[in-house]
Amino acid sequence: MTQLVKVARIQLVNARMVLGLPLLVLACVLAANIVIFMAIQAPESPGESPVTGALVSIYIVTLVTHVQTMTQMFPFALGLSITRRDFVASAGLVVVGQALLYGVVIWVMSLLEGATGGWGLDLAMFDLPFLEQSNVVTQILVYTGPFLLLSFAGLWTGIVYQRWGQPGVWVLALSIGAALVGLLALIGWQDWWQQVFDFFAETPTLLLFAAYPALIAAVLAVATYATSRRAVP
Amino acid sequence: MSVVSLQGVTKRYGDTRAVDDVSFDLHENRIHGLLGRNGAGKSTVMRMLTGQEVPTSGRIRVFGENPYENADVLHRVCFIKESQRYPDIFIARHALEAAALVFPNWDQDFADRLVDEFRLPLKQRVRKLSRGQLSAVGVIIGLAARAPVTLFDEPYLGLDAVARQAFYDHLIADYTEHPRTIVLSTHLIDEVADIIEHVTVIDRGRIVMDDSSENLRSQAVTVSGPTKAVEQFSDGHDVLHREDLGGFTRVLVAGVPSERETASLQVEPVSLQQLVVRTTQFHDAALAGAGTGNGLGNGTGTGTGKGDRS
Repeated sequence: MTQLVKVARIQLVNARMVLGLPLLVLACVLAANIVIFMAIQAPESPGESPVTGALVSIYIVTLVTHVQTMTQMFPFALGLSITRRDFVASAGLVVVGQALLYGVVIWVMSLLEGATGGWGLDLAMFDLPFLEQSNVVTQILVYTGPFLLLSFAGLWTGIVYQRWGQPGVWVLALSIGAALVGLLALIGWQDWWQQVFDFFAETPTLLLFAAYPALIAAVLAVATYATSRRAVP
Repeated sequence: MSVVSLQGVTKRYGDTRAVDDVSFDLHENRIHGLLGRNGAGKSTVMRMLTGQEVPTSGRIRVFGENPYENADVLHRVCFIKESQRYPDIFIARHALEAAALVFPNWDQDFADRLVDEFRLPLKQRVRKLSRGQLSAVGVIIGLAARAPVTLFDEPYLGLDAVARQAFYDHLIADYTEHPRTIVLSTHLIDEVADIIEHVTVIDRGRIVMDDSSENLRSQAVTVSGPTKAVEQFSDGHDVLHREDLGGFTRVLVAGVPSERETASLQVEPVSLQQLVVRTTQFHDAALAGAGTGNGLGNGTGTGTGKGDRS
């Protein structure tokens, strides 16, 4: 365990950059959104409260960060005689901690958003209606789940690159694309659209945004470890 | 005592054998030179014995265990390579902080002194460091880590002569105080000739020389004089290199018994660099010629003439 903490600390040697950058991006995106919505909202006609999907930015940045965890930090760590097992395990530790931290941050931001009357504009960026939970813990988990999913997706993509290079990433991307197209075709052909909509509408938010993403994240974590076994720095 | 042992280790990449049936040992508390041309397989050997790559076949033992994914073994091993990449988000100080976290024998004072000496700008982004400064990061980590097995793979690309000498001086001084097993892989054979106690030469993935520096130096001599006398002298021995000029000949010959007649000849000791270069060439020629030549062979001729240098 102490070894894992040590390796995690190596990943966080530049914590300001690793943990701070996504938050900085989030802050910039928030500022940009406030400016944009101030500009487009005619003050004399208070229409319905606007909703922005800009929150997705921090999730994307986190994914990219963790691709780099594998393409840059992994070769460095192996160069310091750290085993792949210890590195992947501690990367998992960092990801889970970071996801929870960001979950809390976004929850706090949603409170701020409420307190400031949607940043003075009735704008909803954090307190999104379809994510609403009745208690604090599940609310934070709902924000945390997608971080887990995307971070582990980033780690796996990174280690695929590390092991098989650019061709590996292309094959991965094309395979996922083909699988999606196939799935859509299947749904269309079997006329399952109604069931799909029902699934998303009826599945509780906590399952959809926390439990299922965490489950997929676990699968990706195993895939990351398996791929790392023969990856070289 | 041997701390690292390779037995029949082969590494294939597709059709090429980067390392071909290699066996040798690294001994406790000794400075080894792992020498050879570019692409000879030196780095691949070192990557395998630090668990970064897995051999296609053969057996590798470090402290008696397989190093692959073996944390117990690996935290006693420090491998500094020229091609080491550092994360883009790092400044130089981060790399040293990370090393300090991992290596149990890390000496921070020593690291600080080395930073001063190599004039490493600690706050510089790693990406912005010059080639030489980047090498200094590796050299400082390798020295201050004080790992029982420390491997330096071309550690000083871009370092100026003064910095290289500083590296050698610190290496020897610190090695004397804190003995450990060190491997120096380099092209600059002359520079390290006085430091290394054991020489392993690898060529085309095979070991062509593996002996103590002392033995190797006494095994081979340069002989010059009238062609006939030189030929007589070297008869029946491996002539690694030959130059003819008029009636005079100069040969580099291996494994000459001490009782040979040297009256009309000039016999000189051979520098390690000459010996390595000529042996490698000899080995290459033998390979190109009649199938599998055996150069100066694995551990050849202990018991050949010592001290016949005058």
